[in-house]
Amino acid sequence: MADLEIRDLHVRIEEREILKGVDLDISRGEIHALMGPNGSGKSTLASTLMGHPSYEITEGSITFKGEDITEAEPHERAKAGLFLAFQYPVSIPGVSVANFLRMAINAKREEPIQVKEFRNELQHAIELLDVDKTFTSRHLNDGFSGGEKKRAEILQMAMLTPDVAILDETDSGLDIDALRTVAEGVQRLHDEQGLGALIITHYQRILHYVKPQFVHILMDGRIVLEGGVELVERLEREGYDEIRQEVGASAVAAGDGGV
Amino acid sequence: MTRSAKRSARALSRPVTAVSELGDAITPAAAGNGSTPPSDGHRQAKPGRHREATLYHALAGAGAGDGRSLQQLREAALEAYDASELPVWRRSGFWTTSLQSLDLDALATQPSPPPDSVPQVVSRTLPDRPRAGRIVQSAGTVVHVELDAELAAKGVVLCSLQDAFDDHAELVAPWYSKRLAIDRNKLEAANAAFWTGGAFLHVPEGVAVEDPFEIVYAIDSPGVAQYGRTLVVGAPNSRFRVHEYDLAEDFEGQALHAGAFELYLQDGARCRLAQVQDWGAGEVFDVSTRFVGVGRDAHCHWLPSLLGGRLVRQHLELAVSEPGGDMAFRGLFFTEEHEHLDVFAVDLHETGPSGGDVHWRGAATGESRASFEGLIQIDPGAQQTHTYLQIHSMMLSPKARVDAIPSVLVSSDDVSASHGGTVGELDETAIFYMQTRGLDRPAAVRVIVEGFFEPLISELEDEPLQELVRAKVADKLAAAREDIEAYATSR
Repeated sequence: MADLEIRDLHVRIEEREILKGVDLDISRGEIHALMGPNGSGKSTLASTLMGHPSYEITEGSITFKGEDITEAEPHERAKAGLFLAFQYPVSIPGVSVANFLRMAINAKREEPIQVKEFRNELQHAIELLDVDKTFTSRHLNDGFSGGEKKRAEILQMAMLTPDVAILDETDSGLDIDALRTVAEGVQRLHDEQGLGALIITHYQRILHYVKPQFVHILMDGRIVLEGGVELVERLEREGYDEIRQEVGASAVAAGDGGV
Repeated sequence: MTRSAKRSARALSRPVTAVSELGDAITPAAAGNGSTPPSDGHRQAKPGRHREATLYHALAGAGAGDGRSLQQLREAALEAYDASELPVWRRSGFWTTSLQSLDLDALATQPSPPPDSVPQVVSRTLPDRPRAGRIVQSAGTVVHVELDAELAAKGVVLCSLQDAFDDHAELVAPWYSKRLAIDRNKLEAANAAFWTGGAFLHVPEGVAVEDPFEIVYAIDSPGVAQYGRTLVVGAPNSRFRVHEYDLAEDFEGQALHAGAFELYLQDGARCRLAQVQDWGAGEVFDVSTRFVGVGRDAHCHWLPSLLGGRLVRQHLELAVSEPGGDMAFRGLFFTEEHEHLDVFAVDLHETGPSGGDVHWRGAATGESRASFEGLIQIDPGAQQTHTYLQIHSMMLSPKARVDAIPSVLVSSDDVSASHGGTVGELDETAIFYMQTRGLDRPAAVRVIVEGFFEPLISELEDEPLQELVRAKVADKLAAAREDIEAYATSR
């Protein structure tokens, strides 16, 4: 049984069905890539997995570590070990990165973390992500550049040690250096902590730095194609349109977004 | 916060009152400084004419203290008191602040027996920290005065205002009510006529004091009308901090605090003035006027934290009266349940060059109402004045309401004055973001609200006071937890 099991997930927002039956299994230690054109439902899936109140699940279920979390509050999912790195991280004025991290860590624990332990972990994460020391005393995402915001997301991920992380277009808007830092951070968390990851992306370039074992292609709210890393290369060669034409017929034939 | 930006456009883009020459909105006696008796005020105070007080005017000009004795001033105030009704402040289309539910006749200036010790609410609330001195008034009686002996030896005076009139008349008389009126409304007149106890602080020339002077007004039981009167004078080049606390026990029933506060900073004096006001869960009405006058090259950092009261009406006026004066006028408020707060904050520049910087933040929960009017007034001749006013507010429940009206009244041409601000609701995106990090909704809301106030709280530059204000904000959020939850599900 996979750690995160998504079964026949149908999601609507404001009366419009976005996801039309998604099945996906992700476990610790696995790196998955979810690719798809704009509007295919990638970000909807990310938000739904984390319990965003605007997305209504009309059918299907989400199970995490054997528990049905379809109706769980976002913070309960986080405590259970899920994490979402946002496409557009939100700024939280007045709260430093370090203080926010301490609050988030303590939210998951019975006893508050010791000052020394926290400092050590923070130091380790900072080195991992190649950020300035002053970074953690700045207000979270407030006035951060695009690259800094994404680094802050990965920093939080490193500190909160989730079992499965969803990275929603973390690569968008990053220059090549920031992209490499972020990608290497994810790879190291995978290697060192056994992180499982669902990397959601429109483009292929982040996948040059993090190697997925599993690749899923989402179109029109369904996963239409699954495979290994070779799918990324194929997509690079052919683009979404060609794949759409190819799967179009079979998807209709299978009726539910065939494999 | 895109939502807040939209809101702000609606609430704050009202046309600015920009007057190129002295309009009738400026009260008279800008010239004359003391030579004009406050006869205009008497006219306002006639029965049935109380609505004239609905126009929000700066005090400006000279106050009632024009050489008359304390007794004469009390008598003049009593006349105004008898002649006037309880005031109503009305901002048409926005808010009405009315005292009609206050049963003034049922209140006594002194409970029986009069208090003789420091109320529990004071010892419970005030941080245990080094201080330069402390004076505590409970109801109408000063129950505690202490002053660091070294400071006393340097000539610092901290005592009740009553005692100051007896023992330090030469220090008090030139300043008493110098810029405060005594007859614009019934409660202002009541204060000037009936005040007892009071607080007087004098910091002599060149004396610098690191720890704060604490001035405390406490109401321990219902049925009390407390007329607090504070006079603080910073002699040239003095440096000091004043922390005022306005506190009440959580009682059932009505009480009134009608306060008058004046602080004068002479040449080169610097003062950090903070106020923590929390009148507790009882029905405490607070109608107060506070005036801070900043002299030549003097500086004041003023930050009231208005954290509760059934109905609170504050006229807060910070005036730069001499060239080179500078000020930072801050403020935060948090209203809850059925509280009503009405703040009129004036950034007055009587001469130039001068600087001003007004920055307020407020939040409202429950069915509370908070109204803020911020006025920048630049008098004729106050050239080279540069000032900015911003007000940010946040509504934390669907029935709470915050109105903010900034206005600018400029009578000089070589100046810059501008304002801005936001009126927002809780940012659901930010809440979701924090929830995905493991914080539950109330914790996320708390982070947002504390972060919202933090730019001002950190400016207090005083750790014990900062902790107190943070704790009070946190308490209010905890109390509003259900309300905030309901807000989420109602959306």
